[in-house]
Amino acid sequence: MSETADIQATANEAVQDNTEHRLPQPDKITNKDLMKSWFGWWWANEVPHTFDRMLAPSFCFGLIPTLQKLYKDHDELAKAFQRHLLFFNTQATWGGGTLTGVTISLEEARAKAMANGEEAISEDMINNTKVGLMGPLAGIGDSIDSGTVQYIFIAIFLPFAQKGNFLGALLPFLLFSIATFTYGYYLTKMGYTLGRNAAKEIMTGGRMAGIIDGLGVMGLYMMGILAGQYIKVQSYIKFSINGKKFNIQEILDTIMPGMLPLLVVLGLYFYFQKQGLKITRGLLYLTGILIVLSIFYII
Amino acid sequence: MHVTLTVWQALLIAIWVALVESRILGFATLTMRFSPLMTGMMVGLIMGDLRQAMIVTAAIQLVYMGFVAPGGALPAEPSIGTAIAVPVAILGHMSPQGAIAIAVPVALLGSYLYQFRFFLNTFALKSMDKFAAEGNARGLKFSIMVIPACISFLLFIPLIFIALYFGAPVISSVVANIEHGTIIHVLNSVGGGLAALGIAIIMQVIGKKTLLPFFFLAYFMSVAFAKLDINMTIYAVFGAIFAIIYVMLTSRNTENN
Repeated sequence: MSETADIQATANEAVQDNTEHRLPQPDKITNKDLMKSWFGWWWANEVPHTFDRMLAPSFCFGLIPTLQKLYKDHDELAKAFQRHLLFFNTQATWGGGTLTGVTISLEEARAKAMANGEEAISEDMINNTKVGLMGPLAGIGDSIDSGTVQYIFIAIFLPFAQKGNFLGALLPFLLFSIATFTYGYYLTKMGYTLGRNAAKEIMTGGRMAGIIDGLGVMGLYMMGILAGQYIKVQSYIKFSINGKKFNIQEILDTIMPGMLPLLVVLGLYFYFQKQGLKITRGLLYLTGILIVLSIFYII
Repeated sequence: MHVTLTVWQALLIAIWVALVESRILGFATLTMRFSPLMTGMMVGLIMGDLRQAMIVTAAIQLVYMGFVAPGGALPAEPSIGTAIAVPVAILGHMSPQGAIAIAVPVALLGSYLYQFRFFLNTFALKSMDKFAAEGNARGLKFSIMVIPACISFLLFIPLIFIALYFGAPVISSVVANIEHGTIIHVLNSVGGGLAALGIAIIMQVIGKKTLLPFFFLAYFMSVAFAKLDINMTIYAVFGAIFAIIYVMLTSRNTENN
C-alpha cells in the first residue's frame, strides 16, 4: 500500500496514470449491467463474510461483470478486482446498493479517462469514497431495513402465526424480500447517476486532493466511532492486598476510560504499519493473544 | 421425556438451517435469520404439524422482536434456536414458554457458531486474492461463493443434525451448564477484541498518518458520550462537518502560500 502513504504520492499516481500507455475503450454501462451488479451483491451479500474483509468479497462479486466490461486490459482488471477485495462493510440496500452504483460510475470514469489518455480518478479516490460512505449509509440502512421495515411486516402478520397459520411466516418474508430487492435496485441506479455527476464535477474542478483528504477525515472519524462502540476489551483482574481490594479495570477507568480497546486497535495499526498489510497473520496473532489472556481472566 | 426425530426429518431441518446460515439465498436470508418464523414454518412442514409449529414459533418471535445486527453481528441466532426448540416442543408437547427456554440458550450458542463461520471463511481469502491478482473472473466468483457455501454446509449440517437426532434437551442442558463458564468468557472476549481488526485494516488503507487525530477525536467522543446513546447518523454528520472544515482550512492555507 505504498501509494497510499501521503498526498504527494496520490498526486503522483494521478499524473502517472495519464502518462501510461492508452488502454482499450470500455463498453457502455447499461441498466442491465447495474441490475447484474446489484443482483450479484444482493446474492453474495453475506456468504463470504469474514472478520478481516467483512463483505468486501461480496461487493467485488457484484462488480465482476461490470469491471470486465470496463477494463479490457488484463492488468487493470486484476488491479480492479484486488482493490475491491479490501475491507468493506455496509448494509445491503441503502449502503451496498447506493455504493454499487457510485463505484460503477467512478470505475467507468476511471476506465474512460485511462482509455483517452486523460487524468484518471485514482484508486485512492475510489477506495476513500467507499470507505467514507459505507458507515453512515449502513447506519441508515440498518435502522430502516432490519430495524423498521422488517418488523412492520412481522408485526402485521404475527397474529396469523399465533393462530397457527403459516401465512404469518411466509408473507412477512416475501414482502420484505421483494420490497428491499426493489428499492435496493433503485438505490443502485440513483448511486450511479449521482456518482457520474460527482465524478465529472471533481475532475473538472481540480479539487481531487482536497476531496480525498476530506473523505480520509470522514473515514478515520467513522472508524474512531466504530472502535469506541464495538471493540469490547476489559480487564477482569481483581486481587486484594492486606484486605484492600484492587480492580484493575476500575483503576484503568480512572486513568483513561476506553484505554484497552484503543491499545488493541493501535497495536494492530502499528503492526500493519511495520509489517505491511498481513491480515491473516494479524488475525491469528490477535486471536491467539485474546484466547490466552481470557483463559486466565486477564481480559 | 423421550425426544427423537427420524433421520430424514433431522437431516432436512439441518439442511434448511445450513441454507439460512450460509446466507446462500442472498439478502432474503436476513428475515430468515433474524426472525424464527420461516424456520418454524419449515420445521412444521417437515414434522407434519404446521399449526402447532407456528404457535410455538410465534411465541419465540416475541422474544426476538426488534432484534437488529449493527455491523452484521447478531447477539443470537433465532433461526438455530428455533430449529432445535420447535421439534422438542412438538414431540414433548411442551408449552410455547418451555420452547422459549430451550430456544434462547441454543440461539446464543448458535451466534458463536455463526461467528466461527467468519473464521472458517478466512480460508477462502487466499484463493480469492490469488484469482484476483491473476484477473481470473471465474476463479474469483468460485472462491467468493462456492468455497464459503461449502464451508457453511460442512459446519452446520452435521452439527444441527447431531443436535436434533441425539436429542435437543441434552444440548440445552449442556448450554445451561457452561453459560457462565470459561468457554463462554473466552468466546466473548475474542469476539469483542476481534472487532479491532477490521478497523485497524481500514485505518491502514485510508491511512494518512497526518489525519490520525480525527480517529482519536472520534474515539474519545464515542467513549465520552457513550451514555448519551448518540445515533450513528449524528456521528456521521459530525464527521462530515469536520471533513468540510478540514478541507476548507487546508485549501485556504495553500492559497495563502
